[in-house]
This record gives sequence, C-alpha cells and structure tokens, in this order.
Amino acid sequence: MIILTDAIIYACILIVLCLGLTLTYKITRVPNFAHTTFAILGMYMALITTHVYGLSPYHALPLAFVVSGGVSLFLYFGIIRVLQRRGSSDISLIISTLAFDIAMIGVVNILADYLAQDLRVISRDFTLRSYDIVIFDLPGVLIASIVMVGVLIASLYYLLYYTKFGISMRASIENASLAQVFGINTEKVFCISWFLSGGLGGVAGVFMSMWFQGDPSLSPLLLPTVFAGSIVGGFSSIYGAILGGIIIGITEIFGTNLLASTFGYWIIPYRPLIPFVFIVITLMVSPKGVSHIIERIREKRWMTQ
Amino acid sequence: MDDAIVIFASDLIAIFAIYLVINLSLNLEFGFAGIPNFGKVLAVAAGAFVMGILPIQIYKVILNSDADPIDDNFGLVAQINDHISADPLTAVAVFGVTVLAAMAVGAVLGFASSYPAIRLRGDYLAITLLAFGEMIRLIGTNYEGLVGGTLGVVIPDMLSFVSHEHRFLISSLVLLGIAGLIFFLVHRFTESPVKRLLCGIRDDEVAAESLGKDITNVKIKTLMIAGVIGAIGGLLYAAYVEGAVALGYNRLNWTFLPFVMVIVGGMANNKGVLVGTLLFVVIRKLVIYYNDVFSGYVPFDIIWLDYILLGAIMITVLIFRPKGLLPQKAKRIT
Repeated sequence: MIILTDAIIYACILIVLCLGLTLTYKITRVPNFAHTTFAILGMYMALITTHVYGLSPYHALPLAFVVSGGVSLFLYFGIIRVLQRRGSSDISLIISTLAFDIAMIGVVNILADYLAQDLRVISRDFTLRSYDIVIFDLPGVLIASIVMVGVLIASLYYLLYYTKFGISMRASIENASLAQVFGINTEKVFCISWFLSGGLGGVAGVFMSMWFQGDPSLSPLLLPTVFAGSIVGGFSSIYGAILGGIIIGITEIFGTNLLASTFGYWIIPYRPLIPFVFIVITLMVSPKGVSHIIERIREKRWMTQ
Repeated sequence: MDDAIVIFASDLIAIFAIYLVINLSLNLEFGFAGIPNFGKVLAVAAGAFVMGILPIQIYKVILNSDADPIDDNFGLVAQINDHISADPLTAVAVFGVTVLAAMAVGAVLGFASSYPAIRLRGDYLAITLLAFGEMIRLIGTNYEGLVGGTLGVVIPDMLSFVSHEHRFLISSLVLLGIAGLIFFLVHRFTESPVKRLLCGIRDDEVAAESLGKDITNVKIKTLMIAGVIGAIGGLLYAAYVEGAVALGYNRLNWTFLPFVMVIVGGMANNKGVLVGTLLFVVIRKLVIYYNDVFSGYVPFDIIWLDYILLGAIMITVLIFRPKGLLPQKAKRIT
C-alpha cells in the first residue's frame, strides 16, 4: 500500500514537472536544465511557510507558484530572450540554463544555511510529512496531488482549446512568425508560458516536500528523471509529457521494489539508473517518443478502414 | 620564503595544471569539433577511479599482502608508502602502468560517448551525455568495491621518496611538467591540418561531408582522444590529493567549471584556454581563502557565493563576449 502511495504521488509530481519542461521546450526550443531547481525552490517555500509562519504546507502553493514562476520568467526574459536576439547557438542557450541553475542552487543553499543558522530550522534532508492532513485514513498529499493533476490537465485543455489566448498560444508554437503577422503578441505568449512552467515546478516542489525528503542536492539527481519522462513522451506533445511522467514514476518505484525483492536491498540506491535506461531505449527505438508510436498506430488503423 | 606562501602557490600551480589538462581535452571536443560533452566528469572520474584502484592492487602483489584494499585501506597504504620511499623506481613504473590503464579506460569511455554523439543532435545529445556523467558518480558512491563508496579510498603517495620539506613544491612542478607536455602535444595537434578538419565539421557538417570527410570516424576519434586526456586529468587530481571520493566528482566541478573556463578563455584557442583556466583557478582559490576570513560574519557558507559568481560570470560572458577573451583567429589564406 505504501508503495502504491509512493508511486502515485511520485508520478503526479513527475507529470507536473515534465509538463512544464515540455511546454517551454516546445515553445522556445530551449531545454531548460534549471527546471528541477524550480521544484527545489518550491520545497523551501513550503518549509518557510510551515516553520517560519506556522501555516499548513498547502498555504505555500500560491507562494511557490509565484516565486518559482517569477524566477522562471526572469530566466526567459532576462537571459534566454537576450541570447536568442543576439543569435546565440543552441549550445550557448543550454549552457546559460546550466549556469542559471548553478547560481540558483547557490541561492537556495544560502537560504538553507540562513534558515538553519538564524532560525534554527532543519533545512537539509527535511520532510514536511508530519504537517500534512489525513483524509479518510489516507495522506492528504495523495488526494491533493491527484486532484491537482486532474485540475491541471482539465484547465490546460480548456485554456488551449476554448480560449482566445489558447489559440494564440498554439499558433505561436506552430509558427511564431506567421502568428506575429496575424497580430498575435508572441512575446507575451512566451513569457506567460515560462511563468506557467516555472510556477508548476514550484507547485510540484511543495507536494514533493510533503512526502519525500527535500534537499538542494536533489535537483541534479531529479533532472535526468524529468528529462527521461519528457523524452519518453516525445518532448513535443503535452499529452506525451503526461504519459511519460506516469511511465517513469510508476516504473521507478515499482521497478526498484521488484528488483530489490529479487536481487536484494543493495540495489535500491541505483534507482536513478532506471530513467537513464529509459532515455537510452527511447532514443534508440523511437526517438520521437511514445506519443509518436500511438499516432502511427492510429494512422495505420485509419488507413486500413 | 614563507611556508604559507609556498603551500598557497604550489597548490595553485597544481590545481591549475590539473584543470589545464581537463580543459584542453574539453576544448578539443567542444571548441574544435563542436561536440558539447556535458558528461566531461565521466572521463575525469574514471581516471581518478583507476588511480584509486590500480596502484594499491599492484603493490598488493609486490608486497605479497592479503589485506583488503578497501577495509584495510589505511594500513595497506601506509605500508605501500614505506615501500615507495625505499624504492622510487618501482613507484615510477607503477605510476606509468596506472597512467596507461587510465588512458585505456578514458578511450573506452570516449568511444562509448561517441555512440550518442554521432546519432543525436544538440539538445538530446546534451541531455544524454549529462545523464552519463551523473551515473558514474551514482555508481561510484554506491558500489563500495570500486573506490570505497561514500567514504572513498586513500591513495598511496607516489612521491613518498621526496623529503617532506619539498614535497608540495615538487609535486606541483611534476604536475606542471605533465600539463606542459600535454599542452605542447595538443597544441601541435591542433596546429596541424586536423584543426581545419575539426572546425570544418563543427561549422558545417554537410559541407565537410560533401568534401569526402568521414564525419562519424572523426567524431569517434576526437571523443576517444579527449577521453584519454580527460582521464589523465582525473588521475593527476586523485594522485595529487592522495584520495578518491566518488561524491566529489560532481557536475559543477568537473563539467560546468571546465565549460566556464573554456568559454571565457576562448573556444578553439589553446592559449585562451590557458588564460581562462588561470583566471578561474585563481578566483576559486581566493574564494576558498577568504571563506575562512569571512565565515564568522555572514550566516551562510561563502562557498555558495562561488556558485552564484560562476553562474553570473558565465551568463555575462555568453551575452557580452560569446567568443571569449581570446577568440579563435580567422586565418587568411594567401
């Protein structure tokens, strides 16, 4: 039962992270290597809300959304957009996100040191599991994360397909210059997408702190996992990202458990190797991801009809 | 001269020499050939791990000892150090064998990273190589048979035969000598027509291919050579600090920092790499030095300011001087 809870919460968190990563990649063609640090930022917002202000970690959700979103917006508006206008290469853009990540890890660590030294808060390897509420004998974070993912998918679907902004967003993704010709402010669309992506990362971090352990060193370990989810999903479709998050989250938890029960517990620390295996297999078998396979099957069925 | 100054200067020289070797290898694959190896730490850590395993195993045979290299690490290494100070020639031979083994491992890892490098482009390649680099740290930390897991291993001091007073200075000079030799070799290599081939592939693969260049082959060879040099760099570091702890081989120190040094110095320009390396080794050394001075006054570890500083410098250089301090010179053909 505890494994199932682990798997569901982990998968929900990964879905949100993969969604954000895929969104910004699809829109600006920049793989954001600082993405998981937005989640770490969210974790610390939750820690501050509970330990400094004495509120429930759920109160941290709007704060984490705004702070991580704001930092993400700064990364796009202040750095990536400037580099793109100066005609930097893709590699330079990747390096700039890596550099931003390093700087952000420095800031988060300073925050952690400050919390530990001046406010006497355990700020490394912390968990807020005891601050969570219990609903029908189930941890609140389990229900909350499922509800959050459901609401997120529904509202994203509504936003993209039933609002004017969604149409302009899809148009900017498909062809930015053509969208501009039609009078769409693509700059605004890009900025909002980056804000949304970072904000969602922060929200995922809050949920993560309520079930798993939070630490600044988590970010580099989580990064390959989130990229694995996005790559398995195809890195180009929002629904692929959801699927990728579920696949990686479930296999990582259940796979490790299964391997540990057959080969012994020494195998547990090697858990991060599982997403890596997924990256390699996906890139070898179907580089465009699972969503591409599904599309092909659909096409075949349509052709034979 | 003051003892503290000698130690400060010789440590600076040693770290400079080690980073110079690693950065030259990165410049070869990234600056010249245009392959962004975000898994640089892979070859470096592998070289360090070879240094952590092989000398102890060879000396175990020479000393006819049955002590466990991991469990009885300290005792065994003390014995080995005694043997080295008595018999310097064997030590040099063992070190030579270790270097050759590390070079072989580096070449194999370079070959392994060429598998994605010739099939993937830009973003995907960066992600895959980055994941490669994270994995070696994970395995090294958790598999204790390799280099002792989280605790690491102590490595015999290959210069035990040198008297204690000159130990620091001599080791730095040896490292500087090796780095100088590698700089000379790499510089000769990149002054040859190979440079045009590599830069041609970097700038336009299709054009290079249309001129009959075998791009796949060149990329594999470049990554293998860079892997060999990177492994030597890692080996020198492990030999210098006389220890190998897998946790220390992280992305910041052995992938990101070399990238910063190469880009700030100037890509595809070995002299630029020299300047960039010197600049950042001095900056980092000063940060660590002032850490002790300021540590009482601020409520956090100064080392984190180093992270922010590195990130900020990198972004500033990418925006305002993307070609680095000493850019690659365009040569006019007459």
